[in-house]
Amino acid sequence: MNSDSPLHLVVPATLLDARVATERIVGLCDRFNTEDRADYATAVMEWLVNVVKHSYAHASGAQIRICAVTGPEAIELTIEDSGQGMPPWKFDAAPSELDFDATDITRLPESGMGLAIIKSVMDSVRYHSTSGVNRLTAVRRWQR
Amino acid sequence: MLMEDLSEGGCLVVSLKEKRLDAVIAASFREAMVARIDQGQRNIVLDMSQVSFMDSSGLGAVVYVLKHLGHTGRLHICGVTPGVMAVLKLTRMDRVFKTFDSRQAAIAA
Repeated sequence: MNSDSPLHLVVPATLLDARVATERIVGLCDRFNTEDRADYATAVMEWLVNVVKHSYAHASGAQIRICAVTGPEAIELTIEDSGQGMPPWKFDAAPSELDFDATDITRLPESGMGLAIIKSVMDSVRYHSTSGVNRLTAVRRWQR
Repeated sequence: MLMEDLSEGGCLVVSLKEKRLDAVIAASFREAMVARIDQGQRNIVLDMSQVSFMDSSGLGAVVYVLKHLGHTGRLHICGVTPGVMAVLKLTRMDRVFKTFDSRQAAIAA
């Protein structure tokens, strides 16, 4: 695609830096409407928090590498880390829509919602874990 | 984390004075709310009008609060912004929580 200059970020793997990185990425997204922008911000934050909490397990000194490329049709985001990652089959197996009984509050999910959010917000999403590098690549069109 | 309490109409109105309810503050939010419930508060209105962003960690904390209240308590949410509604819809939790445009409507419900 005919792209604008990419945004490259290398950020410490902390929750606070995940928050700041999300805001930087979403700052590129003025072509979304308000609702899509909110959805996209949520999905980006979900993956960055997943990296901090699970892939790196809050290890100090760890870093997350981010590249965001905007084009006329879409934004492509690549997020890499060198933590323990997750098995790709687990990522692939995660549903894109949560299914639970809304009337049974005792069984409502309190966690494990992030992958479903990412899959439902992004138009395409791929996850690879190879040679110690875990990479999420996600594309979302400006308009659906 | 900043929260402001107000007793009104038999409810405890808790206003979250943060722009984001996310993984950074989710645990402290959950603990602060549970403390209020354990002190005997059963009818709670959560005013989220200043919260422009919530992620699934923040939502998970709100779900925990709802579970902690159980069937004998009541949690209503008012002032839901587009950023908060986004995650409620994405997770289908908009079917679970009773949301109100205004604080007065949430208290009266």
